[in-house]
Amino acid sequence: MTFLANTAASKEAISSEQVRRAVQEFWDAFTHQSKNQFQEMYSPTAVCFAADGRRSEAARLMWVRREREFFGPKSSVGAKLGPVSVQILAPNLAAASYAFHFSIVRILPNRSRAEIEVPFGRATQVFQRAESGGLLIIHEHLSSAEPVTSKELPAEDSPR
Amino acid sequence: MLSSISPDQVRAEIQRFWQIMCGNSPDKLEDLYSPSALVVTGKARKPEPANLALARRARQTGKDSFAELGAVEVQIEGPDVAIASYTYKFHQTRPGESGGLQKRHTLFGRATQIFKLEPGGALRIVHEHLSAATNPEVEKAHGA
Repeated sequence: MTFLANTAASKEAISSEQVRRAVQEFWDAFTHQSKNQFQEMYSPTAVCFAADGRRSEAARLMWVRREREFFGPKSSVGAKLGPVSVQILAPNLAAASYAFHFSIVRILPNRSRAEIEVPFGRATQVFQRAESGGLLIIHEHLSSAEPVTSKELPAEDSPR
Repeated sequence: MLSSISPDQVRAEIQRFWQIMCGNSPDKLEDLYSPSALVVTGKARKPEPANLALARRARQTGKDSFAELGAVEVQIEGPDVAIASYTYKFHQTRPGESGGLQKRHTLFGRATQIFKLEPGGALRIVHEHLSAATNPEVEKAHGA
């Protein structure tokens, strides 16, 4: 029964509303630091450009880095989204693009923390309908229109 | 899955795009885009229709520009859609905000271009996101 339902769902054409809901689910997972839900939004082979990445990386590599930087107890993620434009590219494929304001506390490679404001973030995310019927990100490009401000925070466990 | 688009066809269109950007082709940039294309580029704070972005870009292309592209990765998604992603360096001379000529060096450019095969057989960009991981290096051009 479930298989039949999934098969029907996997053949249903993508709608703009479904894509907007998937974008919202993505940011809910990110801001609530729900690691599993966040990872499930991506195809493992998705091509991803991070806002400050000099080259693209596969989603499975990006997960490891984002988990270290954004999903720990000393990190935090906040985001406000602008209107989401959706382009239906094929019955099972759509591109979402939108502006966002991103506020994060991130763990740096040297384990110190930095507060980062990205007031003019821009996102392109390409979603594909999976066999299960859900939407998966197969391509992501995040960038900033203006220089990003970063402020290093004192380490919480340093001696006072 | 049957596909009518080949990665080589996509790479050829990308070469054509950069030939125009560098002022080395008589072709017009707008001919590469679908009329409904959306573009994210430069300092634009949100996605915008391609015709707006291209009008701005037309003022910035010049003969004194050149581009170096990294490897172009092509995701073929169905018979008529392809997603290209690559890095680039772009060196251009263009008017700065004060009116004088500037040399701008974008050293860590990143590109996403989504192509769709039109019924007539032409490959057109339907979505583009060009950005840089770091700010461009800017210097005053000689003779400015």
